Amino acid sequence: MTTATPAVHRRRVPRIDTQAVLCTVVLGIVAFCVVFPVLLVMLQSFQVAPPGQPAKYGLDGWRAAFDEPGLRAALLNTLKVTFVRQLLSLPLAVLIAWLLARTDLPGRRWLEFAFWAAFFLPSFTVTLSWILLLDPEYGLINTSLARLVGTAPFNIYSFWGIVWVHVLTGSLTVKVILLTPAFRHMNASFEEASRVAGASTLRTALRITVPVMAPVILSVLLLGTMVSLQTFEVEQVLGLPFRFFVFSTMIYDLLVTRVPRYDAATALAVVILAAMLPLVLAQQWLTRGRRYTTLTGQFQNQPHRLGRWRAPALALVLALVSIVLGVPVVFALLGTFMKLFGFFHIADPWTLNNWKTVLTDELFLRSLHNTVVLAVGTAVAAVVVHSLIAYIAVRTRYAGRRALDFISWLPFTVPGIILGLALLWLFLGVEMLKPLYGTTTLLIVAGVIAGMPLGVQIIKSGLLQLGSELEEASRIAGASWWATYRRIVLRLMAPTLMAVAMITFVGAARNIGNFALLTTSANRPLSILQIDYIAQRKFEEAVVVACIIMFISLAGALLARLLGLRSGLG
Amino acid sequence: MVLRLDGVTKVFGAVRALDGASLEVERGEIFTLLGPSGCGKTTTLRLVAGLEHPDAGEIALRGRVVASVPRRVFVAPHKRNLGMVFQSYAIWPHMNVFENVAYPLRLRGVKRSVVAEKVTRVLDLVGLAGLDERGATLLSGGQMQRLALCRALVYEPDLLLLDEPFSNLDAKLREQMRVELKVLQRRLGVTVLFVTHDQIEALSLSDRIAVMQRGRVEQVGAPRELYERPASAFVRDFLGQTVVLRGVVREPGARDGTITVALDGGLAGSTLRGHAGPAAALAAGAPAHLAIRPENIEVAGDGRSTPEANTLTGTIDALLFVGDRYEARVVLGGEQRILMLLPRAREWHEGQRLQLTFPPQTVSVWPA
Repeated sequence: MTTATPAVHRRRVPRIDTQAVLCTVVLGIVAFCVVFPVLLVMLQSFQVAPPGQPAKYGLDGWRAAFDEPGLRAALLNTLKVTFVRQLLSLPLAVLIAWLLARTDLPGRRWLEFAFWAAFFLPSFTVTLSWILLLDPEYGLINTSLARLVGTAPFNIYSFWGIVWVHVLTGSLTVKVILLTPAFRHMNASFEEASRVAGASTLRTALRITVPVMAPVILSVLLLGTMVSLQTFEVEQVLGLPFRFFVFSTMIYDLLVTRVPRYDAATALAVVILAAMLPLVLAQQWLTRGRRYTTLTGQFQNQPHRLGRWRAPALALVLALVSIVLGVPVVFALLGTFMKLFGFFHIADPWTLNNWKTVLTDELFLRSLHNTVVLAVGTAVAAVVVHSLIAYIAVRTRYAGRRALDFISWLPFTVPGIILGLALLWLFLGVEMLKPLYGTTTLLIVAGVIAGMPLGVQIIKSGLLQLGSELEEASRIAGASWWATYRRIVLRLMAPTLMAVAMITFVGAARNIGNFALLTTSANRPLSILQIDYIAQRKFEEAVVVACIIMFISLAGALLARLLGLRSGLG
Repeated sequence: MVLRLDGVTKVFGAVRALDGASLEVERGEIFTLLGPSGCGKTTTLRLVAGLEHPDAGEIALRGRVVASVPRRVFVAPHKRNLGMVFQSYAIWPHMNVFENVAYPLRLRGVKRSVVAEKVTRVLDLVGLAGLDERGATLLSGGQMQRLALCRALVYEPDLLLLDEPFSNLDAKLREQMRVELKVLQRRLGVTVLFVTHDQIEALSLSDRIAVMQRGRVEQVGAPRELYERPASAFVRDFLGQTVVLRGVVREPGARDGTITVALDGGLAGSTLRGHAGPAAALAAGAPAHLAIRPENIEVAGDGRSTPEANTLTGTIDALLFVGDRYEARVVLGGEQRILMLLPRAREWHEGQRLQLTFPPQTVSVWPA
């Protein structure tokens, strides 16, 4: 039966239609903006001549990446931080997701939103707020304990300090917000069968719920690991004082020294890329056959009764919420009113001058304007680009759709700072694009690329829930592919697209890594301004800017939530 | 002729979902594709709609080739002027009832006043009048189905495609919609290509049926023709209930044209007569199957058995009262269990012995 198949395939009609042309254009542009820079990075890792001199190719960069003790230490540190982060955050996240999604925990909807909001907190802001509490010299917790018991036990400028901030900023919250919807959509009959068979709530959770959810949990773990390999700000702020480098900060260090070591930096970037690719492939494989179906409301999930565990569970979740959301918001805000950032014990520590200084600063006003233009532009462009990619990947039979899908993941595998560098080369190297250097347009391109993996993923799962018959009905009713896309797909996807717009908006407002090397004084956004303030030791101004970014982010989170984003991997 | 399929093949990976199917649908008829799931009936419908590209063969609508592999022709679905009702109805949730129906007209550039008039008329036709402003998601299952039908009919398509449109309705509503659809079709004269796996639906609605299996068309014919003269064992067993008994041909051609078969197994020693099925002539000694519809088996008045009467003895094993009659499982010869329909007029009980007559003109003999 199958032997005749090839003959049939060979005679397939080559069809040139508008859809294929459009798909190819999209694929071409995305490949140019994503694949080409990645290739540039690879090529550059073999280019050993210092900047400004004729190109020379060799393996010095690679030798440095593996031989120099500092770089080797960075590699080891990255692995250590990543491993410990995942180890600590995963069990906790599974527990919280289960509590939020499957039990009668009081106020679980609000608590879920709190984690959602915490996910949007800029990690830079969170880091600053924890410095206020855990600085070895003047941190509030340390000074209080010193008064009580005589020792100041905590030091945020340490391996565990870095891990602590990481678990709270990224590792925990991202897992909770991805796992909770997945747990919620799990078919309750698995659990009900277990309960009927005589298992307790705890036993059911451990023996049925978690194993059934294993693929989702594993997939979230992979995502978390990828995010871990990316981070930059936390190590940059907390690691530098005690010369603790991870991949991304080491790359940054190699790039900003007097004689930039592009070869070694890019070689390190390629190592990260190589480590990420299997993770991306594994992630795609895990979520490959997932059937997303529209919720029918046919089975009503009965929440488990926590009984006497209700109060302790609530206490645990509330404590975590106040740590991941309450502490950063309160202390970042407090920090903005301090005469001297972090010094609570000086006489009359409070002032309004920081806000006055910043809000009247010409630099700040220009940066605020840049950030608004940048964030809005990125959000609009991202919705168009990401939805086209997602639609082609999910709905068409276009030959290059898998390639496109894969490319949309690539930005995740490249450290933000390196992606920025690659885009810099791209825009300075191609004559036609040169005028864009120093403009906000360039940053928008970077923002769209940086947000691509998440944006495309969310739209894809939204499309899969949509059911293709709605579109087919439109085709048969007489609408062309393009008309169907505009009049049916975009309309039905509006809430999801708005949510993606908000997420990219926030992402662009707080992004540091991707923009660090692309900004000039003309197009500098707030996120880079706060880094520049830090570099000038103006902590008070920096924390004001960080606070403003935080509030922009929280507003975005709230809006996205109100627009009904319940996205996850479920 | 409204639709012609000529040697159409569709391959998904290693599976030939449709394997050289050829069909012709005449103007004004309800033509049904019937078969078990995976037989290729939905693929056929989607190929006609233009939602799939064929891998071989040719499809023509009203004499115009819309898809042809040898001629390298493919007309996009929106240029085929077809109507289609999907299994899920595919009612657009962001539009109300009126907008759903008006959408195809607007795409065709119909004037605003004419749109309103046509939509109102078609909604009226199916009993949805007055629901224009209702949100599409607030409709009941039956209303959604009617709305989907309106949307497919409002622009007077050349051919209406129905993809298992009743499968999401409950039993009562399904019967009602069946009648409504047939009445509506007769009134409008629209040609319908209907896909179902439900034989009752197919038999009751269709002018002609194509029974499909494994991507091939097994037999095309009017419902009664298929039911009474199936061309293959598959069609015979798929449509309605069939009692099959095994045996060996004893006497291939008697004076009256009947074939005598000696039964096997627990019925060894008994013989039954029947007429030849559609297959080639059966020689004496060839293994054979006897097939009869349960409703054709008669319960003899007295308990006496003679070979001439073409009878067997059986015992009621299980008795099910289904309202208008009884269904009984009857054991023949200690091991063969068959289904029988017994009239409500008489009293029956489990364990009762029955003398069953198999009228030779209703028994067909098939090669095993």
